[in-house]
Amino acid sequence: MKVLARKDLPDVLKNWSDSYDVFAPSMKETGDVIFDRFDADTFTLEYGKPSLPQKSEFLPQSEVIFELKKGEYREVMAGSGKMLFGMRACDVMGMRQAGSFMKRDVTDPYYKSKEEGILKVVMACSGPQNETCFCTTVGSGPFAEAGFDLQFYDLGDEFLVEAESERGKQLIADGFFGEIDAAEAGTKIEEFKVHASKAIKEVPALKEAMERLRDGSVSEKVWDYFGRKCIVCGGCAFVCPTCTCFTVSDFQTQPGEGLRVRSWDACLFGGFTREASGHNPRGTQALRLKRRHEHKLLYYNETDVLEGLCGCVGCGRCSDYCPVHIGTLEVVKAIAED
Amino acid sequence: MGNNSGNAYQPRPVSIIRTLPQINEHRLFQLKLEDGGSWEDFGHQPGQFVEVSIFGKGEAPISISSPPTRLDALEICVRRTGRLTNALFDMEKGSHLHIRGPYGRGFPVEILKGHKVLLIAGGLGLAPLRSLLLYLLDKRDKFDEIILMYGTNNPDNVLFKYELLGFFDRDDIKYLYSVDRDEEGIWKQYVGVVTGLFDQAELSPHDTYAVLCGPPVMYKFVLERLLSLGFPKDHIFMSLERMMKCGIGKCGHCAIGDKYCCTDGPVFPFTEIEKIKEAI
Repeated sequence: MKVLARKDLPDVLKNWSDSYDVFAPSMKETGDVIFDRFDADTFTLEYGKPSLPQKSEFLPQSEVIFELKKGEYREVMAGSGKMLFGMRACDVMGMRQAGSFMKRDVTDPYYKSKEEGILKVVMACSGPQNETCFCTTVGSGPFAEAGFDLQFYDLGDEFLVEAESERGKQLIADGFFGEIDAAEAGTKIEEFKVHASKAIKEVPALKEAMERLRDGSVSEKVWDYFGRKCIVCGGCAFVCPTCTCFTVSDFQTQPGEGLRVRSWDACLFGGFTREASGHNPRGTQALRLKRRHEHKLLYYNETDVLEGLCGCVGCGRCSDYCPVHIGTLEVVKAIAED
Repeated sequence: MGNNSGNAYQPRPVSIIRTLPQINEHRLFQLKLEDGGSWEDFGHQPGQFVEVSIFGKGEAPISISSPPTRLDALEICVRRTGRLTNALFDMEKGSHLHIRGPYGRGFPVEILKGHKVLLIAGGLGLAPLRSLLLYLLDKRDKFDEIILMYGTNNPDNVLFKYELLGFFDRDDIKYLYSVDRDEEGIWKQYVGVVTGLFDQAELSPHDTYAVLCGPPVMYKFVLERLLSLGFPKDHIFMSLERMMKCGIGKCGHCAIGDKYCCTDGPVFPFTEIEKIKEAI
């Protein structure tokens, strides 16, 4: 454990930028905060919950996986020398769950190469970032337990900095980072964690909903209701840290040459399960919404969810962004009240 | 997986040895590996599938129709139905394409050994089931009685017609064919849905394994019939169809409850899926 004065953080990030492509929260002119290449002028720590998880760093919205040339499929493998500074604990859990799935049984080499190359620096949350946060219910936050290189605890004038990996230890070996008595650090972090966890409200409906799904007592009317409201935008899946479904398409760029591209897909779309014959085993929007939520809350893989409760990491973004209010919070409430 | 590149998505080059027309819009393609590999090393099992790539058109899962006992060529029986299969039908002897695989869990040949096997196919469902059928016939002494029930919608749509006709001359396989409709009155066998064939077969459910492959509508009725005849649930295996993209359990398209059709299937024991509502 080390300690860093708050005023020194921009200089530290600047130093790290010499060795890594540092991506950190950046306040844009429009008032939006996005993760962008570190720039001392726009860097901010007042970023709350980033609009998007960092999923696209590991599984880009669209990526070329093969180049087609002279009758061959030539592998296109992008590595990454990036550092992500300021990840939230829920998103780290999302990344870890997605990583477990993508590397289980058969390894997805594209995901693995990017995941291994990226340095992950977490900023522990001192409380909920907004009213939809429910990380404590699903065991994903407000601080990360594993899967990061460094974790910062914001104590006001200073940060306590915890290294989890060898790479992380190297990063905080320089003069900006001071030593701190282990017992003193332990007490301060414990206080921070207790205070942060208490501040985030529990969602008992989530566990009730999981039980109801398990015993098969959820009425189809719940799904019919949401199915009628859904506008099939797919946004809930795209902002979800654990949604990794993709489709693969070929594009001919010129005669004899082309690209094989994979891009995000979502179980909310009718074409997602439609077979060549025209038959669709998930033929209604109600069934598709049921699938999405059953995958998170019932059919998740025990190994992939790691120390989490289920396949949802409680970031609340689906509830933040769904234009017609079909987020996990709304769905588990409807199931619990059904 | 017979792929040495380390990248599970890397397609391997193959060429077409010959194309054999089947029925309208259905063809059998015989393939040869063009990267120096052999079909023996490819190591496919009856009931598995490959991902077929055509340059610039995409990739699609196609079941393997030939058994591992016949390694001169890998055979795929294809219905012309989309972008990739349309492009495939424009190809001819010597054309180049790519495949990767073999993928999925095939038919349980080890469990079937020493037992009676009832194969029930509907329509294009015979394409994957043929790999098992020919395997059983090629290793005939390893299995007890073999019964094939095959239903199509009309007499014009019988796949592998000449192969099936050949079974009339064999006394080591019982074959029962049905057509849903016979408007021209040319069909000499049973007319009606495939479950009607059960009345023509003497079955002993407790030492018989039933293996199904057909359109979704077939499963419900055949399952009802098998269960009412007293087939134990763990004697029923079925090959399910789902939209698949990656073939290795990553893309998510073919999920059925907590399973993926491409890796946990496509062949499932009935006991594994009976409680999953969306499975059948």
